[in-house]
Amino acid sequence: MKETPLSNCERRFLLRAIEERKRLDGRQSYDYRNVRISFGADYGCCIVELGRTKVLGQVSCELVSPKLNRATEGILFFNLELSPMASPAFEPGRQSELLVKLNRLLERCLRNSKCIDTESLCVVAGVKVWQIRVDLHLLNHDGNIIDAASIAAIVALCHFRRPDVSVQGDEVTLYTPEERDPVPLSIHHMPICVSFAFFQQGTYLLVDPSEREERVMDGLLVIAMNKHREICTIQSSGGIMLLKDQVLRCSKITGVKVAEITELIQKALENDRKVRKEGGKFGFAESIPNQKISAFKMERAPVDTNDVEEQAEEIITKADPPSEVFAKPILQTPGTAQIGEGIENSWGDLEESEREEQEEDNSDDATTSGVQKMETEEISGVSKTKKEADTIILSDSEEEVVVVLEPEETRKKTRTHTSAKQENSSSKKTFNKKRKKKRTTH
Amino acid sequence: MAGLELLSDEGYRVDGRRAGELRKVRARMGVFAQADGSAYIEQGNTKVLAVVYGPHEMRGSRSKALHDRALVNCQYSMATFSTGERKRRPHGDRKSSEMTLHLKQTFEAAILTQLYPRSQIDIYVQVLQADGGNYCASVNAATLATIDAGIPMRDYVCASSAGFIEDTPLADLNYVEEAAGGPQVALALLPKSDQIALLEMNSRLHEDHLDQVIEAAIKACKDIYTVLDQVVREHVHEVTTLLGE
Amino acid sequence: AAQELVGRVVLPGDVLLLPSHPEADGERLPLGPGFAPPGRLVCGPGLRRCGAGLLVTKCGLLRHRQAGGAGGGSGGAYWVDSQQKRYVPVKGDHVIGIVTIKAGDIFKVDVGGSEQASLSYLAFEGATKRNRPNVQVGDLIYGQFIVANKDMEPEMVCIDSSGRANGMGVIGHDGLLFKVSLGLIRKLLAPSCEIIQELGQLYPFEIVFGMNGRIWVKAKTIQQTLIVANILEACEHMTAEQRTQAFAKLSES
Repeated sequence: MKETPLSNCERRFLLRAIEERKRLDGRQSYDYRNVRISFGADYGCCIVELGRTKVLGQVSCELVSPKLNRATEGILFFNLELSPMASPAFEPGRQSELLVKLNRLLERCLRNSKCIDTESLCVVAGVKVWQIRVDLHLLNHDGNIIDAASIAAIVALCHFRRPDVSVQGDEVTLYTPEERDPVPLSIHHMPICVSFAFFQQGTYLLVDPSEREERVMDGLLVIAMNKHREICTIQSSGGIMLLKDQVLRCSKITGVKVAEITELIQKALENDRKVRKEGGKFGFAESIPNQKISAFKMERAPVDTNDVEEQAEEIITKADPPSEVFAKPILQTPGTAQIGEGIENSWGDLEESEREEQEEDNSDDATTSGVQKMETEEISGVSKTKKEADTIILSDSEEEVVVVLEPEETRKKTRTHTSAKQENSSSKKTFNKKRKKKRTTH
Repeated sequence: MAGLELLSDEGYRVDGRRAGELRKVRARMGVFAQADGSAYIEQGNTKVLAVVYGPHEMRGSRSKALHDRALVNCQYSMATFSTGERKRRPHGDRKSSEMTLHLKQTFEAAILTQLYPRSQIDIYVQVLQADGGNYCASVNAATLATIDAGIPMRDYVCASSAGFIEDTPLADLNYVEEAAGGPQVALALLPKSDQIALLEMNSRLHEDHLDQVIEAAIKACKDIYTVLDQVVREHVHEVTTLLGE
Repeated sequence: AAQELVGRVVLPGDVLLLPSHPEADGERLPLGPGFAPPGRLVCGPGLRRCGAGLLVTKCGLLRHRQAGGAGGGSGGAYWVDSQQKRYVPVKGDHVIGIVTIKAGDIFKVDVGGSEQASLSYLAFEGATKRNRPNVQVGDLIYGQFIVANKDMEPEMVCIDSSGRANGMGVIGHDGLLFKVSLGLIRKLLAPSCEIIQELGQLYPFEIVFGMNGRIWVKAKTIQQTLIVANILEACEHMTAEQRTQAFAKLSES
């Protein structure tokens, strides 16, 4: 399948917007998209979302005989898969240049920086060592795969627990999780990649490029760093000419971003640990909000945010629970049943039919009130992030472990937008919108 | 690798060089008759051959042709006998594919590709003996071969590696220094404009030292440039005398 | 039965029964006053004829429109209003395409369908063999399908039947193109849709809707263009109340 070509018009618009320091999603040049980390039911499984880019990480382990020249070291293996599921641009079963590049970057970022103590993975020197395999699958592509993948890899490794073993003489005993608690890997530090896109021969610089921005960029610089400000990998790619000062500036920005992300990862891991200890519900099924038709509900565009005060009002109005809660199943037509009001679904509806009830299959009556609660909390969660910069929100304390990160610049951003809009409204009087090519359907 | 002293108290490295000193560089241009351009370079014990064909018409599928510039096609291979342990396949593994990509990227930046739309330039690089700085030697060899082939370039591309041991930046690492696992930077530079065509770094290095290490690598690239420039001048001089001018 | 389900959700596999007609059995010509001949029934997207009824093949809301004039009870058109992202060319649809290849006499245009549409260079207003339109690869085209069926390559034109451009042709070089779901496009283009009216009160801008889910917007500044694009994208997930709130907030500031 071919991907949709990029039109000249989009290209020109994007470049002009970048010149004016504006981005399609309302971010500033140095803003990161929201990072969301959710964990699977098993250890060592996580999904990392970077805006709309989604990467699934899964760690597995196996006892193997070591490499000849490294008898006392465990083996680390990384594999990133770009399946055609994530974007029509990826062809199945082919080692594309992009894939080679990304895989090598991951290897260099995580293996060569020695973030994992491979010697602790040795069971019997020269005979048995652990092989740790990190499989990363790109689920949805919206630019900046490498950052999302590197976060997913390190989170999955931190979350992973391997079975305990004991050695008596020549005998290696492997314990099941019931017999002995599985042990975590020993991780020295957490390298995280940050990507910088360059435009117009390096004149303009954007952090965390989205898919459309990646398509018009001249080149990319990836810097991996840990929170001790140690650089683990640098890689430039694409036909850009860099100057030394640019590299140094990027490395400074990386330091800030990495600190933010590391903190977020640690919070997320901490929360997951707590939830597991308390015996709450966890896993992907819990973290995907269940009132959504599609998992890609748009995060509210930052362009139409206003002052913080107004936001607060909005939160209150939105957070109000629906006035009625149907406790009994409602029979709409034969064969369909409904519990609770469900959330409004606007698809296909014309204006007047907007209020029609929708048959959501919430037959699981235990969740009747739970659904309502989740909905409201989710909404307030999204808007709250906009108000409080750099807060971590658990959208549903016991049931899912989700942390939303909003970069610090948000506050500034909101303000600039408002002022821009005030200018707009002054020119409102000259309303002469051309509805040039409007057409009715059916 | 503990116990191995990479930098002595007197400031000498394992092979007796000083921190900022390069290995001996010897280079020849025009070593083959069949190719449009060829070169051979020795940087210490690292020996690399490079061959350039083109610009010629697209080979293989024509659909890959670019309507506004030439396609640069590279292949990096390491001879099976080039390393201490015999290599099983000369190219096609992840590391060589990555190296191929990096070469391609470096030369796409340096060659004036827009002069030859819908055509292709091939650069084949073979490492005969690997003793550290393979990428760098490959870039330097390929630069000479491209110049030999008469392909217009913005500038020379010179590459060099640099490391950082005991708070001292070291230029042009050899195999022992690379294998020690310290931080290493590979940098390809257009020396006249100080522009970096490729920058790569591995292992761990504190951010505060980045500036120094890059500076050392840039210095080494410029030193390489002086040597390469001399080689090219000599070669051109020789050729023109043979032509009788 | 079909009529009761209008406006409700139907699922693939549902069978809609059509009201039967007493006159269907005999060859006797029904005569007399007060009789209306059975209207012609049109099966829209998402429906297929299946015996006496209609078989639903898509999930969505069932819609019905009475046939024009003196339509009988069974006449008119039924269709399923489904939420879909992939476009399937339909004859007469106005779409936004991206020129991908210039090949001799025709341009190939990507419209988001299963196949690229072809567009003759003569199908522009005022174009002749000598006077070719200035179209580059990557340009945006607003045009109409004149051939669109499952067996043939779709064909576009940028003129109406009288040879006038009528708004069609190459779209200007500025502005932003973005993609939304097909359902949202249909909703925005409905005559009763308020979103566009409300948006128009903010500030002047140009907008083009393609039935293939593409929208092109151009306002005076980049910022304004971005705001319009963001609002339209957000409309997909907002209820009517949320939207009025958002608009109120925008026009305040």
